[in-house]
Amino acid sequence: MLSRLQVNLLEDLLSWGFLETGIDRIMLNFTAGMTNHYYVLCYTTCYNYCTNTKGIAASGTVGRGATRGSANVMGSDLYNKLTDYFKRHLLKLRTACDSLSDLALIQFYFKEWTSYTRGANYVSRLFTYLNRYWVKREKDEGRKGVFPVYILALVQWRDHMFYPLCSRNNKLVNAILKQIENHRNGEEVDTALLKGVIDSFVTLGMEDDSAVRRASLELYKEKFQTPFLDATKAHYKKESQAFLAENSISDYLKRVEVRLEEEARRVDLYLHSSTTKALMNRCDETLITDHMTVIQEEFQKMLEADRNDDLARTWSLLARIPDGLTPLRETFEAHVKKSGLAAVAAVAAAATAASTEAGAKNDAVDPSAYIQALLSVHKKNEDVVEKSFKGEKGFGEALGRACKEYCNHNAVATTTAKSPELLASYINQVLSKSNKENADEANMEEALNEAMTIFKYIDDKDVFQKFYSKNLANRLVRQRSASDEAEASMISKLKEVCGVDYTTRLQKMVQDVTLSKETTAEFKERMRQAGDNVQDIDFSIIVGGTVNWPLNPQQTEFAIPKQLAPIYERFKGFYTTNHSGRKLTWLWHLSNNEIKMTYTKPNYILIASSYQTAILVLFNETHSLSYAELAEATQLAATQLRPVLNLLVKAKLLLVDGDQYDLNMNFKSKKIRININQAIRAEKQQESNDVMKTVEEDRKFVYQATIVRIMKMRKTLTHQALIQETVSLISPMFVPKVSHIKQAIDHLIDKEYLERAEGSRDTYNYLA
Amino acid sequence: MVTLTTNDGEKFEVEKPVAERSVLIKNMIEDIGGDSEPIPLPNVSASVLKKVLEWCEHHKGDPVPPPTEANDAAEETRRRNIDISEWDGKFIQVDQEMLFEIILAANYLDIKPLLDLGCKTVANMIKGKSPEEIRKLFNIQNDFTPEEEAQIKRENEWAEE
Repeated sequence: MLSRLQVNLLEDLLSWGFLETGIDRIMLNFTAGMTNHYYVLCYTTCYNYCTNTKGIAASGTVGRGATRGSANVMGSDLYNKLTDYFKRHLLKLRTACDSLSDLALIQFYFKEWTSYTRGANYVSRLFTYLNRYWVKREKDEGRKGVFPVYILALVQWRDHMFYPLCSRNNKLVNAILKQIENHRNGEEVDTALLKGVIDSFVTLGMEDDSAVRRASLELYKEKFQTPFLDATKAHYKKESQAFLAENSISDYLKRVEVRLEEEARRVDLYLHSSTTKALMNRCDETLITDHMTVIQEEFQKMLEADRNDDLARTWSLLARIPDGLTPLRETFEAHVKKSGLAAVAAVAAAATAASTEAGAKNDAVDPSAYIQALLSVHKKNEDVVEKSFKGEKGFGEALGRACKEYCNHNAVATTTAKSPELLASYINQVLSKSNKENADEANMEEALNEAMTIFKYIDDKDVFQKFYSKNLANRLVRQRSASDEAEASMISKLKEVCGVDYTTRLQKMVQDVTLSKETTAEFKERMRQAGDNVQDIDFSIIVGGTVNWPLNPQQTEFAIPKQLAPIYERFKGFYTTNHSGRKLTWLWHLSNNEIKMTYTKPNYILIASSYQTAILVLFNETHSLSYAELAEATQLAATQLRPVLNLLVKAKLLLVDGDQYDLNMNFKSKKIRININQAIRAEKQQESNDVMKTVEEDRKFVYQATIVRIMKMRKTLTHQALIQETVSLISPMFVPKVSHIKQAIDHLIDKEYLERAEGSRDTYNYLA
Repeated sequence: MVTLTTNDGEKFEVEKPVAERSVLIKNMIEDIGGDSEPIPLPNVSASVLKKVLEWCEHHKGDPVPPPTEANDAAEETRRRNIDISEWDGKFIQVDQEMLFEIILAANYLDIKPLLDLGCKTVANMIKGKSPEEIRKLFNIQNDFTPEEEAQIKRENEWAEE
């Protein structure tokens, strides 16, 4: 054959017939051995076909336009013949398809497609010359419908193979969809085959652009993706309804998760990656959105039953849907609020039950139980947010709103001041010496952090501050603080949340105590140097700035007992010399005195207030005194004297007989040191009312100061804007009332800090 | 090594990288694989192939130019570049017939840089010459009528200085 070819070179190389045989060989039996000779001969034939002017050029007499003209005719002739060849070739394949369906059709299509594209690629190489000159020039001249040889082959396949298959009941695509349906139903399918065929739709969409071969997905989308998505929807609609009819929502959610994973994998297995989004949307719609109502209803039950895994699943599925989480957040918020209120109600009921049992009238709630109830609900749901809802912000905010609500308004907190008060009491318990539970530092720190969690939700932070400072004063004066570090740590936590202003006074109080230790030492040193014999009394003092300490002297006269008078005078002298111009106010009711009882065996030591001391030392002279005598000697008002006497009687130190008080000579006690300096119940109640009064007073100033601060900056503001800014500035401290803001504005106008702008009804000017 | 056979029966043994300067041969080796048969080149004579291979040998290490359709901008740059390297300049100093044969062979074998070299050389020969001089140079008969010639001159007036 080779020798024949070489001999007949000239005739054969110009013949289409020779070329067609070559192409046919490649297209039909690609794997059969191709030789160098054959390859070059095919190439050369194509070359010569296109440049059928060789003889003329060689002779050196190139006619005007001859080369181009004839090359043009020959190129176009070759191109048409090639097109025609592809057409005929495909017609044969299509006829073979007619009897095939389903898997057999897909297999046939894929086999033929594979060999066709391989062959076409090869042919395209042999026709390089046609591509390089004729096709390029035609395209440069803007002719449409002329393609490089490989694209030409694809276009022919599309027009004479793919489109006809689509028009006949969409046989091919339907066969593929059936395979996918089988796959979804758990059957094994040939995924490589499906991928091959589906990829061919993408390849067929390839359009030839002069610069780049740009893959257009239009054909894939129109002919395959659309029917595929419709089939997906139909499949999952049926499946989800059937599944839900027989299974729980919980199982359904698991199923959906599995299905979504499967579909995502399906894209990798045999679809074009661009389908992911549309497919996932369709699945989300059919599997989740269409069943949203039942899922949301179940969500409530999941919360109630702490089904955290189901919650997580619900969250991650509904997060896929636009606005899918909004109703869940609302449900969650309501649930947290309800749980919080229920927890508090349980604490309140327990307190009532306990007090009924004890027969006491007082049904005060234990601060610790109350705060723990608030905390437990918060902690549990915070965990849910973190673990099941991936710490998502929207749920965090819902939790915050719910906590704020149940922490401030509940069965115990009937007024907004109640929660701040109980929280302050709780912290007082934690920081006090008597607290055994928090003996260890880490526990104490933990308890304080928990308290801060609740603190952040408290509306009336100013009320808390009042109670806190009252409790702090109490701890400091009575030296009941468990740890200086814990006190400092707590103050710095508050500072972190509310700023320096909030804690200035608290810090000053602590400083005053520290400074007072120095003052006491200095005083003693001075006395020692002066040779003053005061060593029989061990004296220490706390000197505090009046503005910082929430303490007031009692409304009573007091005759300082003669035993205490000398040291009182000396300290007064010492202090006023050191700090001239300062006035000392003595808070006798807060002082502690140790008194040794010499008439008992053993010699008990009493820890008593100065009032108690004043009364007791009178019995150094005599064993019996009347009420009138006691009043005369101590100068105490009845409001003070009566309770103190009652307490001494109750402690069995004194015996009462009508108006006559006698020293109990047979006093017995288990302890050697006895603390009789205890606050009286009525005082406590009184205290919290006082606190509320001072809070109300303070708030008036807060309103006025805030308004002045805003107006000083803005100079002019409308009524509405002023109210808004005031509210937003005050809110971190307490919940402001608009009516109070209005009162404050009126007051400031009276005081000529503000004026109404002329000619305007609702605008204010700042007056410097 | 690759064996090339010319239309006048001569065989040339060349290294693969040298032969692969021809995109035709390169594609063929890729398509057919390790075929050690000689490659027939029915459109090329021994004298021309010898010259072409001389060029290929010298340029065997050059980077392969990208396919034509891949990048129009690169194609544009290549066309505008009229510089000829010193070696190429010496190489292309051949008689006119050989020059045309080289151009044809480069076109057939698909060796773009060599084709460019040939065409640039012809362009340089034409540059600055009158139509009459060009006709003489390439032995072209003037087949325009005087009317046609006058018309063309008018149309191309703008191109004269």
